[in-house]
Amino acid sequence: MTELHDGSAVPERETGDDRRETGSVASREKSDRRGSSPVARTSLYFRQVVAEMRKVIWPTRHELTTYTTVVLVFVLVMIAIISVLDYGFGRLMFWVFG
Amino acid sequence: MLTAFARAFRTPDLRKKLLFTLAIIALFRFGSLLPTPGVDYDAVRQCTTSVDDDAGIYGMVNLFSGGALLQLSVFALGIMPYITASIIVQLLTVVIPRFEALKKEGQSGTAKLTQYTRYLTVALAVLQSTALLALARTPGRIFQNCAADLVPDDSLFRILTMIFTMTAGTGLIMWLGELITDRGVGNGMSLLIFTSICAGFPNGLWNVKAARGWDAFIVMIVVGLVVVAAVVLFEQAQRRIPVQYAKRMVGRRMYGGTSTYIPIKVNQAGVIPVIFASSLLYLPQLVAQLGDTTAGWRQWIERYISRGDHPLYVLMFVALIIFFTFFYVAITFNPKEISDNMKRYGGFIPGIRAGRPTEEYLDYVLSRITLPGSIYLSVVAIIPILALGLFSANQNFPFGGTSVLIMVGVGLETLKQVESQLQQRNYEGFLR
Repeated sequence: MTELHDGSAVPERETGDDRRETGSVASREKSDRRGSSPVARTSLYFRQVVAEMRKVIWPTRHELTTYTTVVLVFVLVMIAIISVLDYGFGRLMFWVFG
Repeated sequence: MLTAFARAFRTPDLRKKLLFTLAIIALFRFGSLLPTPGVDYDAVRQCTTSVDDDAGIYGMVNLFSGGALLQLSVFALGIMPYITASIIVQLLTVVIPRFEALKKEGQSGTAKLTQYTRYLTVALAVLQSTALLALARTPGRIFQNCAADLVPDDSLFRILTMIFTMTAGTGLIMWLGELITDRGVGNGMSLLIFTSICAGFPNGLWNVKAARGWDAFIVMIVVGLVVVAAVVLFEQAQRRIPVQYAKRMVGRRMYGGTSTYIPIKVNQAGVIPVIFASSLLYLPQLVAQLGDTTAGWRQWIERYISRGDHPLYVLMFVALIIFFTFFYVAITFNPKEISDNMKRYGGFIPGIRAGRPTEEYLDYVLSRITLPGSIYLSVVAIIPILALGLFSANQNFPFGGTSVLIMVGVGLETLKQVESQLQQRNYEGFLR
């Protein structure tokens, strides 16, 4: 536990280039950025976007179908409830004001 | 799966919350149909039935208010002023140092900001109701081909009463929304928008059938289902950042040592950016209404921004959605807070040191993952405009991206909240 505490406290005190040693992607990317042209930087950004998208976990087919049906049922039920309400209130308004 | 709905109603406190939410929704619909004093109810009815699908300039806003706007009801303005006000206040937190300080202050600061948002809402409501009534006073301006006189008595006192009523209506809606958030299920504001869109849905669907026949109707249903599935797919997609918790001894007991992950959704911002973008694009139209009909700038706005099918409009819409997605993610997701929290409980991302590097790493992932998220949002949102070209359908195309996004997004959010409450009582929820 003490070890961990030391480890977490160090980066706060140190700044700048020391961080590159941590080997995090963020700091590596930062050093890459320095002194490169805007075109290279944008293409690097897009490559990083693709790299991150590869790590995305998509819902499985089963999850997708259940979620879709559940949402559809919910939305249809709500539409039904609201339509009934609207019809009733509409009649009421017509009766009172019409 | 369907039994889960029944089970939700059998759980006492959940049933109370669900019924409360439904009651508020009913109240909201009641106010949306209740005519404002001073409006000729028969004339409005005549006009709304004669021009159903061509709401013209007010199309999008009418959609958001569930048809209440064109009926000049008590809740005619809907939640639009509140949305606009909250966009403005949130944008101002970046610009004005005092607002930024308030935001950093924590709970009391946020309360202050909410208070400002409410004042601004009332101011905007006064402005919008004045604009709407100025339009309604002259026959044939809200409804292009309906000459009935909507407001028979346009004395100053009458008009002031109407402005007052509509502003009060907006204030009431704001309160209803907060009540749902506090004591019901789901987010109040989004649920009220959801209600409005649901209210206009059957009518819009029927209009397409009436105008284009069964073929287009079936094609549209199929397209709609595909859009719903796509929205669900993207709303569920997440990048999982692994987190390890260090083992530690507290007294004689071992804690931690578990590994979890931080889920970062591809679309972390939800449906808010789309709502923001479309309400912001509505603002120029509002300003244009107050101007002279022949003025050059007004005609420019009407030509390029009021019509949803102009390329310039599409471009601005997409740009705004992408901007608001990044903006909203930056506001709501705070990497520093998360990394601080992890550090406090002895958690770390494998291979990355705690503290500053973790914060940077989270920021790195977030800023990379949000780009595809924002592109997805804008693609879904411009589907109605693409359909406009393909089917020559009108703007109120019911499977329009914005409406489907909001319906599915809010539906998912609300269901998940109900689900988590069901699971608290060890019941199996809907989403298994």
